[in-house]
Amino acid sequence: MHHSYIDSFSQGDSPIHRLDARAKLLAVIAYTVVLVSFSRYALAVLVPMTIAPLAMLWLGGVPVRFALRRVLVLSPFIAALCLFSPLYDRSAQSGFFGPWQFTVTGGWLSAGSIAAKFTLEVLAITALTCTTPFALLLEAMRKLRMPKFLVMQLGFLYRYIFLLIDEAMRIRRARDFRGARGAPLSRRLAAAGGIIGSLFVRTVERSERVYAAMCIRGYRGEPHALSRLHFRAADAIFLTAVAGYLLLCRWGYAVIAH
Amino acid sequence: MTLPLAMHMANSLLDVPVAAVTIVLAAAAVAISAARAQKSLEAEKLPLMGVMGAFVFAAQMINFTLPGMPGTSGHLGGGVLLGILLGPAAGIITITSILIVQCLIFQDGGLLALGCNVINIGVVPCLAGWWLYRTVLGRGACPPAWRQYAAAWAACLVGVTGGAGLVPIQAYMADRLVIPVTHFLAVMVGVHLVIGAIEGVVTFAILAYLRQVKPAYLSVQAASEPVKLSRKAVAISFLITAFLLAGVASWFASTYPDGLEWSLERNYGGASTALRQPTEGAQAADKTQARYALMPDYSRRAAPLGSVAPDSNGGRSGEGSWPTAKGWTSLAGVTGTGVTLLVIYIVSLLLRRRRRDRGRQATENAEG
Repeated sequence: MHHSYIDSFSQGDSPIHRLDARAKLLAVIAYTVVLVSFSRYALAVLVPMTIAPLAMLWLGGVPVRFALRRVLVLSPFIAALCLFSPLYDRSAQSGFFGPWQFTVTGGWLSAGSIAAKFTLEVLAITALTCTTPFALLLEAMRKLRMPKFLVMQLGFLYRYIFLLIDEAMRIRRARDFRGARGAPLSRRLAAAGGIIGSLFVRTVERSERVYAAMCIRGYRGEPHALSRLHFRAADAIFLTAVAGYLLLCRWGYAVIAH
Repeated sequence: MTLPLAMHMANSLLDVPVAAVTIVLAAAAVAISAARAQKSLEAEKLPLMGVMGAFVFAAQMINFTLPGMPGTSGHLGGGVLLGILLGPAAGIITITSILIVQCLIFQDGGLLALGCNVINIGVVPCLAGWWLYRTVLGRGACPPAWRQYAAAWAACLVGVTGGAGLVPIQAYMADRLVIPVTHFLAVMVGVHLVIGAIEGVVTFAILAYLRQVKPAYLSVQAASEPVKLSRKAVAISFLITAFLLAGVASWFASTYPDGLEWSLERNYGGASTALRQPTEGAQAADKTQARYALMPDYSRRAAPLGSVAPDSNGGRSGEGSWPTAKGWTSLAGVTGTGVTLLVIYIVSLLLRRRRRDRGRQATENAEG
């Protein structure tokens, strides 16, 4: 497993890639807040909300298919909730789509709403992380006053996750080659405990080596990094456009209806 | 554990006020933990929490097949283990960084749901698990294996289930749920009791290994030989889990009528009008059952065997008799589990004997 498995798009170049990471992070947070604020029966009003993430993915050169596959991988829990809600909520709700009015069961509306919100959220976060290298995202978090200590741990986590996953996969393959499948359950669990335990010991020792390496490179209690973030006019325009779009999505219907 | 994603709160189940409150609470918990971890850890342990987060992802790769559920395999969740090994403060920081990376890179759990997830998966399992583990283990320098097992099992059971139980409550407060909260709660608690028990066994296996190799991490005396655990301790713990499962689940489930009945009553003015009158045969069968069932509708008989209780119209008394009726319902659930377990045990014994016989026959045939 390599960084390129998830990071293959974030190193590219496009108008979206060139935007400041802070602007993109704030825009996605604002988008999520607006998305969450819709009621549990909101479905038709979510249609305009699909424009922004799709546009960001398209402009950023990220295949929409790639993003949608993420939705499928993660959805079992959401799918279970969706399947059960029509069974419980039989209240009649009036729905509308453009000029057409119709009556539907509340359960189906809310199932659709849960699924749609989930999909849109995944699309929006994919649009963010696939157009922004993680290091820049961390820098944006630090600039936006997230605790330095936590941002630093996030950096370590991201740096070592693929290394340790690779190591664990090699250990797993070695175990499976040695025919652990046929062993009784107690032996298999003890083996898993031993593997994870030794991985734990190695991880603690690795973190101490990492610290020693940091000290050699001049770490004195404050992380030093060259800032690569520049807030330009394009970022201001982007943020204003997103704000206008979100306001229109959230309250546009109410204004038109009056 | 088996379903690592199941516990993650999703954005779709939240509204803005609940999200805001949980984010503020989680931020406070993280700030306190960060201050404590920075103060209590030695300087060379500074990268520990981030690298530990990567360790949890790696540990989840080590899967093992579960008995009785072919095709499914379990893996460690890790929250309670981190609380036990690193202490609650460092554990909470580690899990918070895991959750942020899961949210941003793996799109698992929404941005606004981060507050809920930090509380459910980080704060509750770490604090409750760490405290329970310490309390059950006691202060002795050389606790016996069964005691260490009991401590790990109790910590995982309460830590995992407690956190998961908060998900339906948060969704209910946000008014995004059409499923009755008690049903959602019963399912979440039920599933996570099982997950927590398995997590407890694996956590003990890891702790037993560490006790042998690096006892300093656990502040107990080194074990000179591999820590052996009697089968009895595991069997007892799983029996207790099964009984808890039955008791809690049926108690919760009984606070609402059955889901279908509930929606019928709510939307069609009661089951009697929506369903056609039962046929005579069904009525007769119903009467016989009401007369001779030991626990009609999962509660204690209101009338002596052989006669029907005055309120036998479904046997469901209203909210008024809440405590006693529910108590009997959970007793019925527990008894039912006991009987089911017994039946499963006998069937498995029979099957095993039959397989052994068949195996013997096969070898005899081969020899003959």
